[in-house]
Amino acid sequence: MLKVENLDKTFHTGAGDVHAVQNVSFEAKDGELVAILGASGSGKSTLLSLLGLLDSPDRGSIDIDGTQLANLDSAGRTRYRSSQVGFVFQQFNLIPNLNARENVKLALEFAHWPKADRDNRANELLGIVGLDESKAERRPAKLSGGEQQRVAIARAFAAQPQLILADEPTGSLDKATGQKIVELLREVATTQKATVLVVTHDEKIAKKADRRFEIEDGVLKEIH
Amino acid sequence: MRTVGVVVILAVAIALSISMLIARDAVTNKINTVRASTGNTITVSPKGFFGFSGGGTPLKESAVTGLLSIPNVTAVQESLSEELTSAKTSLKSPTPAGSLGGQFGFGSSGASGFGGSSSSTTFSIPVRVIGTNSPGNAVVGGANGGGTEKLTSGAAYSPTSTADVAIVGSSLASTNKLKVGSTFTAWSTKITVVGIFNAGSTFTNASVLMPLSTVQKLASASGDITSATVTVNSLNNVASADKAVAKELGTAADVTSTQATTEASLSPLNSVKTISTYTLVGSVIGAAIILLLSMLMIVRERRREVGVLKALGAPNRSIISQFIAESVTFTILGAAVGFVVGILISSPITSALVSASGGSSSTSGFVRRAGGPGFGAGGSGFTPPTGGFANRGAGSFRFGGFSNTITQIHTSAGWSTLGFALIAAIVIAALGSAVAAATIIRIRPAEVLRSE
Repeated sequence: MLKVENLDKTFHTGAGDVHAVQNVSFEAKDGELVAILGASGSGKSTLLSLLGLLDSPDRGSIDIDGTQLANLDSAGRTRYRSSQVGFVFQQFNLIPNLNARENVKLALEFAHWPKADRDNRANELLGIVGLDESKAERRPAKLSGGEQQRVAIARAFAAQPQLILADEPTGSLDKATGQKIVELLREVATTQKATVLVVTHDEKIAKKADRRFEIEDGVLKEIH
Repeated sequence: MRTVGVVVILAVAIALSISMLIARDAVTNKINTVRASTGNTITVSPKGFFGFSGGGTPLKESAVTGLLSIPNVTAVQESLSEELTSAKTSLKSPTPAGSLGGQFGFGSSGASGFGGSSSSTTFSIPVRVIGTNSPGNAVVGGANGGGTEKLTSGAAYSPTSTADVAIVGSSLASTNKLKVGSTFTAWSTKITVVGIFNAGSTFTNASVLMPLSTVQKLASASGDITSATVTVNSLNNVASADKAVAKELGTAADVTSTQATTEASLSPLNSVKTISTYTLVGSVIGAAIILLLSMLMIVRERRREVGVLKALGAPNRSIISQFIAESVTFTILGAAVGFVVGILISSPITSALVSASGGSSSTSGFVRRAGGPGFGAGGSGFTPPTGGFANRGAGSFRFGGFSNTITQIHTSAGWSTLGFALIAAIVIAALGSAVAAATIIRIRPAEVLRSE
């Protein structure tokens, strides 16, 4: 269960203060797919950074299953990210000199999974996202965009995190592949019992979510 | 490709530093060897005493004996150098006049000194006699003009001897069919040969050693000496003793230490040492800067990857260790290649540095020493049959091996060189890694990923 309350983040720039996230509060259940719609510069990526503990909020709290996260120190944030948060990026961001399996295993390594279990877990996740053994051996450059995003999803879910943050996961894919990726995210979220937050500006993608929010000028509102 | 480029540049820098280190070590060894071989002596000769050509007013024994009271002076060897023309001796010099008679215009037999008719063909080289109170001493260069005498037969006379005896050089003995017990005439006095020496040099082997008192008496030069060699207890005290001797004797004498002349000869090598030291330091710093900039570039290029790794929960130390491994790999490869190349190029580079510094021209031949035996009156530029020394001013010459081998520098790489390469590689890798680490720590994943 993710519980966010009164989250604020302001960037101080030469042109003045930018209120990227203003008083954001919401809740999301385990296994739920939540879509956050918003245009460029609306604050959706900043919100994701705050939830992923990549950035610190100026105010507010982030609570996952009773654990207060906003006040963790740097090492605590790193530990939390490695075990409880999975990221899926628009540009996939796989490590280019590692093959698909090794990319998945990287997340397991950071989460301190037992070495002996890493291969099996990586293969299991790659199987779930529909990549066979031959694809698992390929480096990102030898995979299509959709396949790379599948690897990224497998990596994000590998360490069984409670929260998956997907920033425009279909942005670099064609529509059909994008739809499949969202369906995959939804399916894995259900099976892995993880909360998935998908940031997108695509209404069709957002409609596949259990709940939808819209963010504008840092203010989050639920769309019913 | 970039990796190869970085390794090659590093290898070049490390090769340069290795070759400079080897050059520096070789030159330092040579300098130390030469310094050790020159001994701790100071030569005293009358002011204006012009080498073999004579000149100036002889010093008095009494003045030189007082030098023993100078701190750190352990011995004073005195000598009086004379030449015996054919009118004064029955001895014939083993050295043929050759073209010298015509070239320098020696007078005919019996004429004294240079400057005679250049058309003379009856010239014979005078026999050099050194009256010395240190016969058989291994270091008598100052007394007899150089060389290390070894008695091949007979025995040395006593240092305080006043007898009409002599130790003759082997070539002089051979020419005049002398052996121990033979006699010859000098200053109308019968002299008995008590020993024969070999100094390994035709020039020195053509001379005669006699008791100082005997030569002073026969040459009507009572109390006179033409050279003194002052021995100092330590190389470290030569400079101070040199000043004290000069102060004691005042303007009556030229005082020159072997150290001073050696240092002058070693000046080009010291220049090479300085150049190689600066180049060594510069190349190590250069290599470090190359790696530092390369790592900086690599980290900046892979900023997104670092951001992603951080987002995935990789601790800084884990990411930094990857880049350190890269930095160390670059350095090890560069150091390995550079070490081998550095060793290969060290010898030609050392030779080039020594040549460029003027070492070969200024250090070849013999080192001239102040004082020593005179040789006739007037003229200059004597070239002995053995060749190799030049007369360039007041004083005499020392036969010696060290100066003409100054440029023969042997380069070698030992464990110390390997150790240096290792330490340099560690320092370079550490610097390169430190920059990478500092940059990685500053990367904030939120900023990197936000720029997508």
